[in-house]
Amino acid sequence: MSARNWVQDIPSQEAYALDKILFRVQHDRAEEVRFFADPEQYIGATNLSNEARTALASTDVGKLYQLGVNPYLLRAYCLQLRMPEPDYLAALRAVAEK
Amino acid sequence: MAEIAGVFAVSHTPVMTNMRDAPGPALRDAVVAEFERVGQEIDVVKPDAVVLVSDDHLHNFFLDNFPSFCIGIAPSYPSPLEGWLRVAKQVLPGDPALAAHLLAAVMDAGFDPAFSMELTLDHGMMTPLDLAGIAGRHPVVPILVNAVQPPFPAMRRCVALGRAIRGAIHHYSGAERVVVLATGGLSHDVGTPRMGELNETFDRTFLKHLEAGGPVAAADFAAEHVNTAGNGAEEVRNWLVAHGIADCAPFTTSYYEPIAAWYTGIGIGHWKLVS
Repeated sequence: MSARNWVQDIPSQEAYALDKILFRVQHDRAEEVRFFADPEQYIGATNLSNEARTALASTDVGKLYQLGVNPYLLRAYCLQLRMPEPDYLAALRAVAEK
Repeated sequence: MAEIAGVFAVSHTPVMTNMRDAPGPALRDAVVAEFERVGQEIDVVKPDAVVLVSDDHLHNFFLDNFPSFCIGIAPSYPSPLEGWLRVAKQVLPGDPALAAHLLAAVMDAGFDPAFSMELTLDHGMMTPLDLAGIAGRHPVVPILVNAVQPPFPAMRRCVALGRAIRGAIHHYSGAERVVVLATGGLSHDVGTPRMGELNETFDRTFLKHLEAGGPVAAADFAAEHVNTAGNGAEEVRNWLVAHGIADCAPFTTSYYEPIAAWYTGIGIGHWKLVS
């Protein structure tokens, strides 16, 4: 194992903004409905950088991890999306292989 | 004054319930039997309350306001929070009087935990209780330790908080017997490129330090090496709180196996309490 548990010791403002979206979509039923009704529009209206917005819109799990998204929120989000477990793991492991 | 009638520690992971068969029947049955034995050992002492030490996995708390420690002082706790967790929805009874006593006593002792009068418990507490067969059987006092978002409370601080909780339980007149169940760890990663990798050396060394007893060695080992054991290993803080509650007595490991199919080094045991 490499010697770091966390991408960021303190969340960046961008990681916080991404975390906030994932947290709301996971815990606020109305927000969840609004998100999944039109993810593209929802994400397009967020105040994220282009890189973060693209990562979220394309569910680029590896990039979201690298941007500092809390791994627990990312895990739960992928469960919420019903992402197949092998795809989820492969996306994460691809980060390590780069 | 209340007696600490048992202090236990077990790993937790939601895949124990959601992917129960993944490790194969032999490992699955061995782990389930260990959890059931812990449940029986808790039942046999007829505790007035069970103090649960675990972490909130970003459900009750978020980064807008994240406590290092939080004591639940509610009369009841809905659980589990996660809709995807394969455990029946239920409401666990709380022990608000004991919880309020612990809160006040540790604050008098120089600690500053948050408190909550409304928590929904997640898999960290519910999965072990469910596997042990004791969910809802005993009133609970949840103590939540931040193990999911840095910066974290120092490992030694967790032992020290545990010792303050120990003193508080001993001075409580509203119960005769209190049991402690800490959950979490050992080595594992959640949502990182290392997910599925384990660190058996970390796990076994941490357990050996606990088995030797004493206030420093396990905490210092964890502080130095936790980054080699995965972000889920940050949950050994929960074990260290229990270690403090047990007065840093020697720990007995009853089960350890690195179970990659559950992404987790599974440890189970209890402290040999000195009365």
